[in-house]
Amino acid sequence: MENALSDCQLVKQFLQGNEEVFEVLVARHQPRIFTAIHLIVKDRYIAEDLTQEVFIKAIGTLRSGRYNDEGKFKPWIMRIAHNLAIDHFRREKRYPTIVLEDGTNVFNTMDFAEAPYEIIQAQKDTKAKLRALIQELPDAQKEVLIMRHYMEMSFQDIADATGVSINTALGRMRYALLNLRKKLKKHHIAYDQNIYPR
Amino acid sequence: MTKTFTQDDLIRYIYDEMPPEEAVELQQAMLCDGALQEEYKALRATVSLLDELLPQSAASSRQGSSSKA
Repeated sequence: MENALSDCQLVKQFLQGNEEVFEVLVARHQPRIFTAIHLIVKDRYIAEDLTQEVFIKAIGTLRSGRYNDEGKFKPWIMRIAHNLAIDHFRREKRYPTIVLEDGTNVFNTMDFAEAPYEIIQAQKDTKAKLRALIQELPDAQKEVLIMRHYMEMSFQDIADATGVSINTALGRMRYALLNLRKKLKKHHIAYDQNIYPR
Repeated sequence: MTKTFTQDDLIRYIYDEMPPEEAVELQQAMLCDGALQEEYKALRATVSLLDELLPQSAASSRQGSSSKA
């Protein structure tokens, strides 16, 4: 659904009783929210449920009058999405992680770390491979990559949300991109430096 | 004095989180520094590939907003 109004204007209309405009907000943000949650929980159906839950929670907060984001709807709803996905992920996770300063999970460096089973089994499809390679990144790096690239949160917002400094958030993004680049090369996934616009 | 730019600076530039004046300085530095330009291209290509996972509409809206001249 196309609509030239800004998020802020749509939220204002919603708060004034025009609840239909929420559909525009859903259409605008749902694809990114779904992609980000999918990368975190790794299950399409759970991601669909959680995406729906994000918007239900947002409506609840808006209706209750507790919404006060000073015009920043997107970071606010992305943070809801991130929190819901992480809560779900933590509930499902049965083993502890120890994150090193660079965001590396200490267990990733040990010999008994799992073989890249997902890679081996992945379809010969770039998307599936890319998704699998992102999953291989250490948790802290993957978290920043998803929040910055897919949720479009600023590095400052990410720093605030994850309780680290902006330099740490930026550094984790750097490690994530460099690691990903290495993995892309290793798995011969084509990424032509000249075909992407500057 | 010529400022030295890092990979973190390039990432801030790619994600439009660099003040305009600094972005101009970085663009000028890339013109004179082949290694910096290559590093930028490699990072940019990796970042662009991430868009493959986005639905078409969301990916194209990002490209429109963050492509650098």
